Amino acid sequence: MAITILAPAPAEPIYREVDPSEDSDNGGADLEGDHEMRPTKRAKHSTFSIVTPGEVVTDDAQWMRGHGTYIQPGSTEIIATVAGTIQKTNKLLSVRPLRARYTPEIGDLVVGRIMEVQSKRWRVDVGAPNLADLPLAAINLPGGILRKRTETDELEIRTFFSEGDLLVAEVQSLRQDGSASLHTRSLKYGKLRNGVFMSVTGTGGGGGVVRARRQVWTIDTMHGGGKVDVILGVNGYIWISKHIEVAGGETAITRMEESISATVYSSQNEYIGPETRTEISRIKGVITLLVEQGFRVDEDMVMKGYEAAVTVDDEDLGETNVYLGGAKGKKVVDLLSEK
Amino acid sequence: MPLDTSTYSLALLRLDGRRWNELRRLTAQISTQVAADGSSYLEMGNTKVMCTVAGPSEAKGAGGVRLGNDRADIRVSISIAGFSGVDRKKSGRNDKRLMEMQHTIASAFAQNLFTKLYPHSTISLSIHVLSQDGSLLAACINACTIALIDAGVPMHDYICACTAGSTSSYSSNDETADPLLDLNTMEEQELPFLTVATMGESDSVSVLIMETKVQVGRLEGMLAVGVDGCKQVRAILDGVARARGTKMLEGSRM
Repeated sequence: MAITILAPAPAEPIYREVDPSEDSDNGGADLEGDHEMRPTKRAKHSTFSIVTPGEVVTDDAQWMRGHGTYIQPGSTEIIATVAGTIQKTNKLLSVRPLRARYTPEIGDLVVGRIMEVQSKRWRVDVGAPNLADLPLAAINLPGGILRKRTETDELEIRTFFSEGDLLVAEVQSLRQDGSASLHTRSLKYGKLRNGVFMSVTGTGGGGGVVRARRQVWTIDTMHGGGKVDVILGVNGYIWISKHIEVAGGETAITRMEESISATVYSSQNEYIGPETRTEISRIKGVITLLVEQGFRVDEDMVMKGYEAAVTVDDEDLGETNVYLGGAKGKKVVDLLSEK
Repeated sequence: MPLDTSTYSLALLRLDGRRWNELRRLTAQISTQVAADGSSYLEMGNTKVMCTVAGPSEAKGAGGVRLGNDRADIRVSISIAGFSGVDRKKSGRNDKRLMEMQHTIASAFAQNLFTKLYPHSTISLSIHVLSQDGSLLAACINACTIALIDAGVPMHDYICACTAGSTSSYSSNDETADPLLDLNTMEEQELPFLTVATMGESDSVSVLIMETKVQVGRLEGMLAVGVDGCKQVRAILDGVARARGTKMLEGSRM
């Protein structure tokens, strides 16, 4: 019997070595013409450059160093500290990481979870290196927007938010160490219920939630699912829930606060029908798929992905299945790539 | 005898068919676990390790006390699977060798990472050893480096590690012994060896550990070969990181 010896196959496709002699002004790593990766229409604008830690971005003294870079004392070389893309803002040179934990910025819409309750504030996990603060003074107290915070409120702090509660808030200010202070002083913000939470780690560079024009919107779902709200927190935390019509549309605008605030801090879920549940989990599946494929997650992509998922699901005449793995997920991705 | 001096001197080939200055096959993957902040899987020959990074996240001292550090704390935990070695050994929690490895990795990265950017927070590295065949510490350090790059934690440069040995044992006292690069288990058991890690392409050594005896005259050659091996390792890891980055950017262009 003949014995054949097979050459070992690499566990990962072998990368293409970049010739360091092709260094450009961007600090080397010109990855032009990597045709073997995706030969489709996108090949023509693949003129981006990646730098990796320790790589000299530039030795020109005219540039100022920004985030993701450092300068060795006694030299003018700007060296990257993270793997990412170079960003130039006037004379400021920074490297945006491909994937990193969320860094809060003022005005960001975030979804968070209460980790600690203290006497006058909550500590909220927003996926950042430090927990964010939510002062008692920065929430809408029930019974009118202009009500003053009292000692009774401090004693009853757990009736507003207690440990484990989810909320949507805005970053109001940043402290010296980069940790955020939140507020929920708007009807858009507050406690979350009637839905499902998911976390998309590693914002930045490629995939993940990107800062967009609209982070909160309502999807009119197919198959009798009704309306479903999607909240994409900039921090990568996502909330998908059944849309609840705001009751009391007829009340005067000045009295709206009072009528709503009674239900704002409720933790009781409403009835959610099986059709709605199916569509919520389908949207969740779409977002998971987008993240796995390294696509950005925003309103446009989620809507396109959802339509594609419904189309693919309608094609098989079998039982409705919202799981987007394997062959089905591939079909959805193919549909998405065509658009 | 794993490295028979008589046959080695004839063909200059080691037991696994490598020459003195050849690395084993080194492959790595980045972002292997979706839920972690950063993760990697690395194979150096038959040594296989997995590393996940959690953090930087809020530091918790004992009893939930907030730590008042002005820089991030790095915690390393290594767990060695029972099936990873040749004999099934149960390693206790207070294994001195493991504790030394954890401390070595933590102090190496405390120097390399910009921990001042993340005051009172913790970066925890958890390493799982799936298969052991020599150069364990080196594999762990390399896996940590690319997992930290995946997590987007700023660092001065890659820390890349490998082992270097010498072709004859201490007792044979052979003056003409050649240095060897990247030892496997059988070689490690017989021959003197050291683990060296350097910062990026420079020659600055950040980790150097030697647990065996060797004549001081041979040390310089071993170290030179080890540092050179680290540069080769850096080129491979850099390629892995770039390939991953290119793929991610392609996806975001939709």
